[in-house]
Amino acid sequence: MRFGRREKRRACVVGLDGVPFGLLRRLAEKGVMPRTARIIAGGGLRQMKAALPPVSSVSWSSFMTGANPGEHGIFGFTDVDPATYQLRFPFFSDLAVPTFWDKLGERGLRCCIINQPATYPARQVPGALVAGFVAIELSKSVWPREHLPALERMGYRIDVDAKVARESPDKLLDDLDATHATRRRAMTYFWEREEWDYFQFVVTGTDRLHHFLWNAVVEESDSHHARAMAYYRAVDEAVGDLWDLFHAARSGDREGEGFFMLSDHGFTAVRQEVRLNAWLREQGYLSYRTDAPATVADIAPTTRAFALDPGRIYLNTKGRFPRGCVETGDAPALRDEIAKRLRALTYNGESVISHVFLRDDIYTGPRTALGPDLVALTHPGFDPKGTTKAREVFGSTHFQGMHTWEEAFVWSGVPVPEGPVIHDLAGAIGGWLS
Amino acid sequence: MASGFTLWFTGLSGAGKSTLANRVQEVLLERGCKVEVLDGDVVRQNLSKGLGFSKEDRDTNIRRIGWVCHILTRNEVAAIAAAISPYRDIRDENRKLIGRFVEVYCKCDLETLKGRDPKGLYEKALRGEIANFTGVSDPYEAPLNPEVEIDTAAEDVETSLAKILTTLEAMGYIPVGDGRGYSAEEEETIKQRLRDLGYI
Repeated sequence: MRFGRREKRRACVVGLDGVPFGLLRRLAEKGVMPRTARIIAGGGLRQMKAALPPVSSVSWSSFMTGANPGEHGIFGFTDVDPATYQLRFPFFSDLAVPTFWDKLGERGLRCCIINQPATYPARQVPGALVAGFVAIELSKSVWPREHLPALERMGYRIDVDAKVARESPDKLLDDLDATHATRRRAMTYFWEREEWDYFQFVVTGTDRLHHFLWNAVVEESDSHHARAMAYYRAVDEAVGDLWDLFHAARSGDREGEGFFMLSDHGFTAVRQEVRLNAWLREQGYLSYRTDAPATVADIAPTTRAFALDPGRIYLNTKGRFPRGCVETGDAPALRDEIAKRLRALTYNGESVISHVFLRDDIYTGPRTALGPDLVALTHPGFDPKGTTKAREVFGSTHFQGMHTWEEAFVWSGVPVPEGPVIHDLAGAIGGWLS
Repeated sequence: MASGFTLWFTGLSGAGKSTLANRVQEVLLERGCKVEVLDGDVVRQNLSKGLGFSKEDRDTNIRRIGWVCHILTRNEVAAIAAAISPYRDIRDENRKLIGRFVEVYCKCDLETLKGRDPKGLYEKALRGEIANFTGVSDPYEAPLNPEVEIDTAAEDVETSLAKILTTLEAMGYIPVGDGRGYSAEEEETIKQRLRDLGYI
């Protein structure tokens, strides 16, 4: 890294995708993450709420904009085309408000961001960006493109191949290790080459590990526990190295000031999938035009509500959807009825739904009307799904982990708001750099 | 490290340089780029005020525009110059100074230009009322190897625009992405990735 002549504040952010507050603390206490343990020992580790719904595209968009989905307009990995009900896949340029990197750029500050989910295809940032999930091609993931040859030479991998996870846990772990190693090389490359005021490095392998091998992470008796912990040790080394580099490169500030760590959502074990479209069908709110519905584009015109992943429920309202059948005046009563029935949903006598949020209670801003009418969160173990293919409301899954809302974490060397929500951090980081 | 660049439109008066420069500016702004347009007519009202149309003055004018583009480029701005810039050696001098330089030759035959002639300049020049008028009474040295060549007599603005944007994307100077969404193939890849992780 090259430094300018004058001393100025810098910030460094480490993102650990899908790492829950409790797990991070536990791994630090058990000695799996000794360097992280040293960082959090002095305090500053806080439980944090993710965005709603708690998926990476929404949460990271909230982080990078400091805005809620009603402002930034990203409500999930998918949206539905109102005219056709076909799924569409939001991309970086769908973000309706500037990122805080853009705002830092207006102040003449430079940002270097590596493996940031929900930034594909990469666009101009004031500095450098390597987009993360759902990035497809490296050539479209890098801004500016002049970094592309170097990333290709170092064998940079955008993501692990999730397909191999179903074939073999060992192959997934091999892939996680290799991908993490290439990201570390990219981290070093950008650290040494770029002039920056804001540096960000996101580890997404943690999320992949948890989806497929959560049991290996939390159960010592699991046959892959040792390798899962080895992966976490490698993550801890990246965290510790960034901490050391950051502190060696700055001067004048107290230890930890300007350093941030966060996750975008928590994780817990899955016991059952909860297929919300099957439930809506069972309750008489949804029907299909075909016996083999592939997506919500196959809903019948009489459908009053449908669901998208993970727990987003949309009323099929006239005006919003050209083929909608719910009168606008009837929508509030229908919404409340569905919410009430959802709250009463049980599995073998056990409550399934922990929260049902009304759109206007959780989103504010000009894009609020584009959001789901309801967002349902489940109790741990019940993973809400928007599949249209399942007939049964409950079912098993090959996934071992699922996202949680309230158990993300943040560690900051400077104050962050009480009861932090992920979109609060942009203000804290921007405040530190001002 | 600079990620700006200079897009340099050259061609005869009325060939469509300003029209295209403004259209490219619109698109680049939509894509989140910082953009400045230096239009020859506007520059002559301020930065180059007082300069005439002798070879020496023309060279000075183009060098000034080139120097401003150089400063903008190194500050990560997409600098767009739209000036007749008739002499090859001065354009090449600017190319060397700036480095990240994309030359767009707006080609148009004289008959078409005379037909357009919104300011009546060709008519006056052909009557001998304007001295040193490029293409009539002063030479125009077409680029030998421009990054983009556009025949504005034959193409519409959007076709020419697409050529320029494709070149800028291919050179890695602007982000790929047109706001219209993913291709069918990309969409299928994304769907599969989301399925693999249980997100759809």
